[in-house]
Amino acid sequence: MALPLGGVVVNALMISALYALVAIGFTLIFGVGGVLNLAHGASITIGAFAAYYVSSVFGLGIWAGALAALVVPALFSAAMYLGMIQYVEDNPITVMILTLVTFIAVEEVVKIVAGTQAVAIQSLLTGQVAIGNGLEANRLLVFALSWVLIGLLFAVVNYTRTGKAILATSMSSKGAALVGIESDRMYLYTWILAGAFAGIAGLFLASLQTANWSMGRTPLVLSFSIVVLGGIGSIRGSVVGAYIIGFLETLTTSYVDSSLTGLASLVVLVLILLVKPEGLFGREFTE
Amino acid sequence: MAFTKMVNDTKSSATESRQSKAGRRDDRRDSGSRSSRRRFLAASGVGFAGLTGLAGCLGGGTSGPTGPVKIGVLAPEPGSNPIGASIAQSAKLAAEQLNQDDGILGNDVEVIVKDTHEKPSTGRDVYQDLTVGEEVDFTTGIFTSEVLLALMDSISEQETIHMSTGAATPDAATMVKDDYEAYKYFFRTGPVNAHFLGQNMVDFANANFSNMGWDSVYVLVEDYAWTKPVESVLNNQLGEAGVDVAGMKRYAGGTEDFSTIYDQVEQSGADAAFVAMAHTGTPAVVQWIKQQRPFEFGGIHVPMQLPSYYQATKGACRFAITQNSATPTSEITSKTVPYANAYHDANDKYPVYTGYITFDAVKQYAAAAESASSRAATDIISKLESEPFTGTVGTIRYYGQDEAYPHDVVYDPSGENGVRPLWLQWQEHDGAGKQVSIHPDSVAEGSYRKPPWV
Repeated sequence: MALPLGGVVVNALMISALYALVAIGFTLIFGVGGVLNLAHGASITIGAFAAYYVSSVFGLGIWAGALAALVVPALFSAAMYLGMIQYVEDNPITVMILTLVTFIAVEEVVKIVAGTQAVAIQSLLTGQVAIGNGLEANRLLVFALSWVLIGLLFAVVNYTRTGKAILATSMSSKGAALVGIESDRMYLYTWILAGAFAGIAGLFLASLQTANWSMGRTPLVLSFSIVVLGGIGSIRGSVVGAYIIGFLETLTTSYVDSSLTGLASLVVLVLILLVKPEGLFGREFTE
Repeated sequence: MAFTKMVNDTKSSATESRQSKAGRRDDRRDSGSRSSRRRFLAASGVGFAGLTGLAGCLGGGTSGPTGPVKIGVLAPEPGSNPIGASIAQSAKLAAEQLNQDDGILGNDVEVIVKDTHEKPSTGRDVYQDLTVGEEVDFTTGIFTSEVLLALMDSISEQETIHMSTGAATPDAATMVKDDYEAYKYFFRTGPVNAHFLGQNMVDFANANFSNMGWDSVYVLVEDYAWTKPVESVLNNQLGEAGVDVAGMKRYAGGTEDFSTIYDQVEQSGADAAFVAMAHTGTPAVVQWIKQQRPFEFGGIHVPMQLPSYYQATKGACRFAITQNSATPTSEITSKTVPYANAYHDANDKYPVYTGYITFDAVKQYAAAAESASSRAATDIISKLESEPFTGTVGTIRYYGQDEAYPHDVVYDPSGENGVRPLWLQWQEHDGAGKQVSIHPDSVAEGSYRKPPWV
């Protein structure tokens, strides 16, 4: 018995917004700094557990938890750039190894501190909204907030001086330097933005599903597919890619088999790399 | 907290491992049973201290080792995992109580805890430390089925009784059945094996579903090896019990998002999701409640067995039900509540199921040794086989050599001649969550309550 399409589309719309949040940060760091940040998944986990500790363990409420999910991963991301990446960013192999090791180390620390069992955090909003068969209000809020954040990022990048400077750096760091832009500072900003976005995605995932030590992995792998599909470095491409991958995933799990999570996106990844390696939106940010 | 694996994964290659060791076992029989232990010692170079220590042990005749009775405890992360902590602390509690009462056969009881890290290779190493290095009288604990199966050959070679208190794989008992002489040192004090876990689900359905209004259920089992025997029993017997099975799904092990799966349950029109979940239990129950799905929820849900679960999930398990070995307030026998309280006094928290069972294992071993007036493994084995023991989780008896699962604890739906799991629902009383037993009647503290949104 096939599921009604309406519900499946709603599921896909919701989850895709979350994927977009994760993929945007991933693509920003790559597009602006040329760094493949494999520790991006760690920011998701850190965001989720920061929210868990602040809201549930310290009992400060879910909105204080949300703030922690924004700030702590942003700081982690900044610390990673300042303490490690800025010294090795010209050596992609070293960067990959360092970011991968950091990701694993973060997972291990979370495992030791919080255990291997998933933890639940409160919903940002409780209750149901009368749409279709009833929709969890929290899911709707997550969807809306994701889009607000994506919209804000677009506005910042396109209409503020700092945003334009980030864009300029991504186009040509030499050119940017010539007009007085400190590219190091721009790199730092992108790391902070990416960390904060991934952290918020972690909060949302924890609030909708649960949080566990390995929760950053699937979104990281999906981000690969999304940014390759959308075009590496393109924010617009990431959003479109997130929706394509999100729909593909949801349709596969709904109509083919729920155990095929992640498979469809990997097939897309391979196909795009072979057929159209520049992705749907090319590299807007390339030199 | 790896309590996700109460019931644990069975290892499909058990047969293979049995075959591969047949040769070694024949060698051992040719040269006499104790000599293999000596050979192992010499070969592995444990050292002079170990050898001198063993000399007394080997010369002990039929009465077995002398000196303090040493209990080797194998626990997964006893410092942080409630499953492992319950195993370790319960063994210590049982030993303390025995020592206050003149120990075992007048000897002091010592407990040595080793961490398996849930890894077969680590399990093997620490098992050797315990048996060869520490020369323990018997071992207990083990939670992960893979670790247990990896140790079966060592248990056989060391000829040291192991009373297993966490793993659910029926494969270990099958090994006893296939080669009793080699594997007779293995006993599963609890929980009932995975086959009977499924059987108990069917028995619960028979007894309660019509009252609960669960006329039609959608079976959800996570795709780990431990659920295979459970699923096969449900598949064969749930229909016969008059339950309409609206659907049956074996979903992927790593599932975190249950939206699609719940859409399918919802669409099937089932009254409830009847589940077997350990690793994936928390996201499943949390999403069921947060999304207020219009069906009820319960079955074997390992995380929900944890006494602190309500607090850990901020109440996101309310109205869900699960099978369990015991709860701190359920009077299965006169020993259940006193044990739970003593554990709480010592540790400031209540144990999970592995604690009750480990406590029983140590006490039963002591009773068998006293009854046999001997510490020799073979003497104690015959007592364990023949003398029932009343523990905290019920009457502990083991299946005989000719039955399907020799040395597994007997499952008895009546609870008189074996153990039977109980069923509980998480309910809220005075603003706090409580595991309220709802089945069987003899231990029930309340009745099932429907979730208000269904």
